[in-house]
Formats: sequence, C-alpha cells, structure tokens
Amino acid sequence: MSYIVSPDVVKYACTCGLLKPISCLYFCRYCCELRCGFCVCHEVDSHFCGKCCENLPSSEARLKKNRCGNCYICPCCQQELSTRIGSKGPSNPEDPKSTPKKMYYLSCLYCRWSSRDVGIPDQGAATGGWPERENVHANRLQEVIEGYKAFITAQRQQKEREKKKQRGKFISYTDRTGVTAAALRKRIGLPAEVPNTYYRNRPKPPEVAIAREEVEDFPEDLLTKALNLMEITTIDQRLLQPDLQPTTVDKLFPIHKQLSIKRSLRCRSCEHNVSKPEYNPNSVKFKIQLFAYYHIPEVRIVTVEPLRAGKTAELILKFTNPTQHQTVITFLPLDLTDKGGDGDREVVGETQSLNLPEKQPPSLGGQPSSLLSLSSRQPSITIKPRPIRQATNCSIAIPGSKVILPPRDDAAEYDDSGETHNIQDDTKLVVWRKSNKAFVKLAVTPDDGLELNTEIVAGFTMQHIYTNTIATTVENKEPDRHDHNVRVFLSLGNLVGSE
Amino acid sequence: MSRNSIKILPGALVCEESKLRGDITIGAGTIIHPSATILAEAGPIIIGDCCLIEEQAKIIHRLPFDEQDTEKTPVLIIGAHNVFEVDCHVESPKIGNCNVFESKCFVGNKVTVTNGCTVGAGCKVTEEQILKENVIIFGEKCQMREGLDRPGLQTLQMETLSKVLPNYHHIRKPNKKN
Ligand SMILES: [Zn+2]
Ligand SMILES: [Zn+2]
Ligand SMILES: [Zn+2]
Ligand SMILES: [Zn+2]
Repeated sequence: MSYIVSPDVVKYACTCGLLKPISCLYFCRYCCELRCGFCVCHEVDSHFCGKCCENLPSSEARLKKNRCGNCYICPCCQQELSTRIGSKGPSNPEDPKSTPKKMYYLSCLYCRWSSRDVGIPDQGAATGGWPERENVHANRLQEVIEGYKAFITAQRQQKEREKKKQRGKFISYTDRTGVTAAALRKRIGLPAEVPNTYYRNRPKPPEVAIAREEVEDFPEDLLTKALNLMEITTIDQRLLQPDLQPTTVDKLFPIHKQLSIKRSLRCRSCEHNVSKPEYNPNSVKFKIQLFAYYHIPEVRIVTVEPLRAGKTAELILKFTNPTQHQTVITFLPLDLTDKGGDGDREVVGETQSLNLPEKQPPSLGGQPSSLLSLSSRQPSITIKPRPIRQATNCSIAIPGSKVILPPRDDAAEYDDSGETHNIQDDTKLVVWRKSNKAFVKLAVTPDDGLELNTEIVAGFTMQHIYTNTIATTVENKEPDRHDHNVRVFLSLGNLVGSE
Repeated sequence: MSRNSIKILPGALVCEESKLRGDITIGAGTIIHPSATILAEAGPIIIGDCCLIEEQAKIIHRLPFDEQDTEKTPVLIIGAHNVFEVDCHVESPKIGNCNVFESKCFVGNKVTVTNGCTVGAGCKVTEEQILKENVIIFGEKCQMREGLDRPGLQTLQMETLSKVLPNYHHIRKPNKKN
C-alpha cells in the first residue's frame, strides 16, 4: 500500500521486534498485539487469474502449473496480450461479396509484439486454441517426477507401517468396535498379513542422466558477423521461458499468465485471522481486516525545529484516534529491554488457545489419529519477542500530563461549528485539536557529540486505552478497556551545524 | 524569434489555441489539438498530410548546441501519417512517415526518425542515431525491437476528431491553395 506519509519517518515496533510503518501492521484483537507480515501465518485462500478473473480450485491450479489456460502474457515485455481481430479475405473465395472471415491474433498493446511476428497462424476462434509448444524434455521430466513420486509413496507407506507396529501395544479404535484390520482383510478376501510392500514395490529409479563429452563447435560467425541486438533476447525474456530459453526473438512464444492468489493472514499465537479477503476475485474488499491503522492511534510528524547536538528542539506530533471510542494517550519513556505491551498476551492469548485441548476429556485419547490431529491443528506458538535493533540518539522529555482523543466521527469533517469536546487540556502539551486529532508539542534533545548529518532517531512508548469490543461476554456487557503500549520511533531528520 | 508565418493547407484542422511559432506549413488532413506546441526556432517546419498532433505535444525544431553557430537554416520535414500523442516532446531533425510518438516520450535533436517507428510511452531517446524502419522502443529501459510492419493508421480516430473538434473549438482557416 502506498501510504500518504510515504517516507517511513514514524515506525511502530511490532511485537516480534521489527519496526514497521503503521500501514504495514496488523492488530490482533484477541491477543491485543501488533502483528506484522513476518509474524503472521500466510495462507493461500484462492487462486485466480488477474486478467479474466476466473477462480480456480487449488488442485486445478496445481494441475495447470499455476497458470491461466486462456490468458497469455507478452514474451517480449511481460504485459498481458490482448486478442485482436484481423480480417483475412472473404470466407468464401468464390464469392467476393461474402463477409470477410474474422481471424484472431494476439497482440501486445505495449511493445506491439504480435503472434504474427513469430509466425503463429491466426485463429478462427477468439478463445484460445493457440498452439501449445511441447517441451523437448517433457518425457524425461515426467519420468523423473514419477520416479520420485513413487519413492515418496513407498517411503510414506513404510513410515506408516512402523507407526502401526508401535501403536499395536495400545487399544486401537478398530479393536473396540471389533472390526480389526485383519478381520476386514479376511472378509474381503485378502491375505491377513500385509506383506512388506516397500521391498516388493520398490520404485524403479529414473534412468541416470549421462553427461555428453562432445560439445557443439564454437560458431565462428560470432566473431565475424556484426551483432544485431534487436534479434537477441534479453535475460528476462529467456528466464520467462525456462524450458526453452530462446536466444533469438523469433523463438518467443506467448506464455500463459501466472495465477495470482488471495491470501489470509492468521495470528500465530491465537490462530485468529487478522486479514481475510473476500473470495470473489473481482472484489478488493476484506471480510476481516484488522489493520493497525484502524485500531492504534496514528502518529505523524508535523514540524521539527533544526536539530543541533545537545540543544533542545521543539517537535510537534499529530495524534489521530481511528477508533469509535475515546482514548487517552500517555507518554512513557522508551524501554528497549521490556517486552512492551506483552502483559496482556499472557492473559488473553495464551490461556484461550491453550484451553482448547485441555477441555477435552482425557478418556477420548483413543480416538482415531485423524480426529486428534484436526483439533490440535497448528499448535499455538509462543513467539519470543526479539530485541529491537533500532538505536535512538535523541532524548524526548516525557510530559507528565495525558492527551485525551475523542472518538472518530466521520461527520465532523463537515462540521465547521468548531465544537471542542470541552476537554481540559494541558496547554503546554496540546497546541491544537479538532475532532479526533490533536497536535502535541514535545521537546527533543539530540545527544551531545554527534557528528553532523547523523540521522536523528527518537523514540517513546505510547500508552493508549484500547477498547476491545470483541471480548465483551454475556455477563460483562461493558466493553473491555485496557492500556496498550506501543513503542514508536521517529526519524526526525539529520543533524545540522550550529547557526 | 522571427515573425510567425503559418501556412495551412485545405483539409487541415488546426485549433486556434495551439501554439505555433515561426515558419510552419501544415499539410492537408493534419489535425492539431488546442494546446499542442510547435516551435520553428532553427528554421521552417513542414508537416505532411494526415498527421495527428495531440494535446500538450511539443514539436520543437532546435539545433543541437554544437551546430547552433552555423549559418544554414535547416528545414524540419515531418512526413505523413505521424501520430504525436499527448505530452510527447519531439525535437528530431527529420521525421519520416507513419511514426508514433507515444505519450510523454522524448526524442532528442540528434535522433533521425525514419518510417514506421514507435517511441513508447515515457521512453527517452537522446543519443545521436538513426532509427531504422519499424523500430519499436518500449519499456522502462527503452528496449528496442524491430516490428513486423508499420503501426496501424489512426483513420477512425481522426475521422471522429475532424467531426468533433470544430464543434467545440475555433479552427484556423486554411490560407494556402494546394
Ligand atoms: Zn512482527
Ligand atoms: Zn485468465
Ligand atoms: Zn509486449
Ligand atoms: Zn492473536
């Protein structure tokens, strides 16, 4: 997302220790923690083609090698190719008055490459039917793939058999019902003992590839003939078709467009989604979008006085409350050793996720392994917070008073009455406020003895009251309000010399 | 700069708001949009038939710095069926037929353009060179490739324009007989 405050001058520390601008962060409402792209689980929701917007099930996508069957991209410049109509003579050669026959060819509107350039015959139908080129090594590849597939199956079978032998000491599910595997086998007329299939069906390894000793002769004309760079493909063009790697432009052929994915992101410690897109490829909306931008007060730098080593400068920050609930911002000194706002996680996240397996009565221990694995899918991972590697070289005078931010009111944008929420502000701290925004004045002092042009980074811990509407239970109708700490880092610019 | 001498052949459609400076001859069937700029600084410009010069396009006849002291007044001849798309900037000393200068491209004053060439959107061509016939320049890195044939003519678009433009703009009257 290209964000309005594009240079990332204000960064928030994610729970995992990475610093990110607010637009790149998520906020898990269940753990009350910031999450970034590196500390969530990425899951593929659906495969779709970005050109024709067709949804493909993942099995079909795999079968088609993650490419769309109908859409092509330009082998020359990698833009999408469009089908164009080119009439070609009358449909009935004897009758010159008959309507001209419509012929279709592929054309790139960007670099003007067309399927006619490489001599692909025009097609009579608009949808596909374009000749597919066979990979010369297709047979060999298939042979190798099949060889390895057989190898994997054999290995898996062997592992399962070993597991079965171990499990034999305990009462198995089938034993309870009286239907044992051996009894079943007898009933359908198979020998009771399973022979060792691994040794019997040991896969035939694919034929070993042998390197050739003789090499092609060096083409003399490489040295004598003038090189026409327009006939030679670029590295990008070659790598686009790894199976052929054409060296000259007359061997460039249309390439099936690669599919795109929609993915959902899952909090790793509580397994709730922090982002889930709508299934329809035409939709750019989300079903779940727990972006930090909607939950955490946004900090922006308004002005900062020229920074000089050891001299105090005035810094004005703008705080915006994005939520529907009033919040109070408290400034705390930056503590890099502390885990920040991790206190809540132990209470909310860990217990919730750990409770799940415990609730099951222990007597169910003998249930089939498939069911067990379903319930404990992806066990909760305790993410150890990493230390923050960002050093600060500027101190911020932490003000004692707090800043109240009223809830966001979309209608307030159009309200010129200048209604102030009757908030008694510390006028030394809050210099301006309107609806859910406030300008706050802080004093910053770059460290003494810094060299000129050093980038000045300051940091503080922003404590805000987060109102969690999700945790409201039946007996507790009041929304859950608690403090949440976020460590904010500000890049204030470079150090300048004395006047 | 010398006085303006604009010769418009019958059939040309030149909007009055276009900025034309110097000695310019505009061929029949050529369409010049309201805010196009054509500057004949170094010498006369002769524009061929059926060219399309779109909004904000700049055609400037300006000599390279190292040739500016010479006495000669070269003529910039632009062939027929050339398309100058929105906000292109062309200073080429010689332009053939059927070329397309796409939006926001730049062609320097040492680049000779032959026939059927396409300078892609945003491409900058400044090195001294002669663009071969049907050359296509495209992409961020100004890649070059040779096209199969000339780019298609904009006949339909020009027909529409010649109907629509006079309804909304003042048109300069042709002042030259064929
Ligand atoms: Zn993270
Ligand atoms: Zn498609
Ligand atoms: Zn292309
Ligand atoms: Zn969570």
